[in-house]
Amino acid sequence: MLNELLFKFASWLDTFQSSTDLHESLYMYAWVESTHVLTLMLFLGMLLVIDLRLLGVAFTDVAASKIVERLDKPMMIGFVVMVISGMLLFYAIPVRSTQSIWFRIKVVLLIGAGINAFLIRNMTRSTDMAWDNDPKPPKRIRVGAGLSLALWTGVIAVGRSMAYDWWDCHKEMPYFMYWAAGCVNEMAAYE
Amino acid sequence: MDIVFIFEWLDASWLAELSKSSAGVFAMVQTVHIASMVMLGGMVMLGDLRMMNVLLPNVPSATIINGTRKWIWLALLFIILSGLYEASAIAMKLAHNSFFFAKMAGLGMGMAFILTIRSAVYSRAPAVVEGEGVNNNIQLDEVVQPWVVKLVAVTSLLIWFSVASAGRWIGFS
Repeated sequence: MLNELLFKFASWLDTFQSSTDLHESLYMYAWVESTHVLTLMLFLGMLLVIDLRLLGVAFTDVAASKIVERLDKPMMIGFVVMVISGMLLFYAIPVRSTQSIWFRIKVVLLIGAGINAFLIRNMTRSTDMAWDNDPKPPKRIRVGAGLSLALWTGVIAVGRSMAYDWWDCHKEMPYFMYWAAGCVNEMAAYE
Repeated sequence: MDIVFIFEWLDASWLAELSKSSAGVFAMVQTVHIASMVMLGGMVMLGDLRMMNVLLPNVPSATIINGTRKWIWLALLFIILSGLYEASAIAMKLAHNSFFFAKMAGLGMGMAFILTIRSAVYSRAPAVVEGEGVNNNIQLDEVVQPWVVKLVAVTSLLIWFSVASAGRWIGFS
């Protein structure tokens, strides 16, 4: 049901001439993709600094709250640019992206990373920051920071894997993989 | 000087055989390359933006610069190792790729810049950049002007941005 809905939505996006134009443009798609990848350095670079501080392995002589608060703005600027460029990349290739197992895992990881970031943000903005100047933050903070790094590394890995066609719908795959990737037509042919 | 023989040697090496044998491992190495790029970019930006008084102006700049140093070199180590693995798989393509040579030139320039000018200028930053009351043991006549510090910071950012851009463009050429 959800697979059909997503496929219909992607197919509808695909009917726009601007989607095709962006995909087939000589330079524009490359610029958008480059912006997406290069903004990683700003967004994830700042997040990495924050997470390393919260893990207690870098900048331990600087208050954790100072690092978190001051790097928040550049990090969010990077995030916004990354989201916009990411949406444009999806818009350029909507059907293949929707039916990519890697894209689907990426979305799940992004949701996980978002929830984790929300929880860390709450824990580092609470008034109870007695550990602020401690080189090693409490275990729950370190676990959250470690999870954040793991989730974002996963996002990079599956984002990179989207370029490969190992599990594309046109390949011979078990039914479960067709379902997981949302290969609606292939599933229908299977049944 | 014709250096194609280096690429021919790389293309015939056991590393090329290994890198061409598994697309899955190749994708994982690409992930390491990008993650290391994120680490390098984050640490370089943090240091340079601090020296421009944009980020963490209330924290002594020496604390930030010293704190970023080991991560920068660790990232560069992983970038070079993973990059060598990636290059071995497409050595002959890279032998005639202008963006690859631009990236290598930028990488060399960036590393030399960190070791020489960036390090020398940042260690002689004036109190207005370094942070009040923490200016270390440098002589007054060794202190550089704030605009020099900012110029070095902008140059550093431009160099590394160029390296990353050229690297990305290898994939499109």
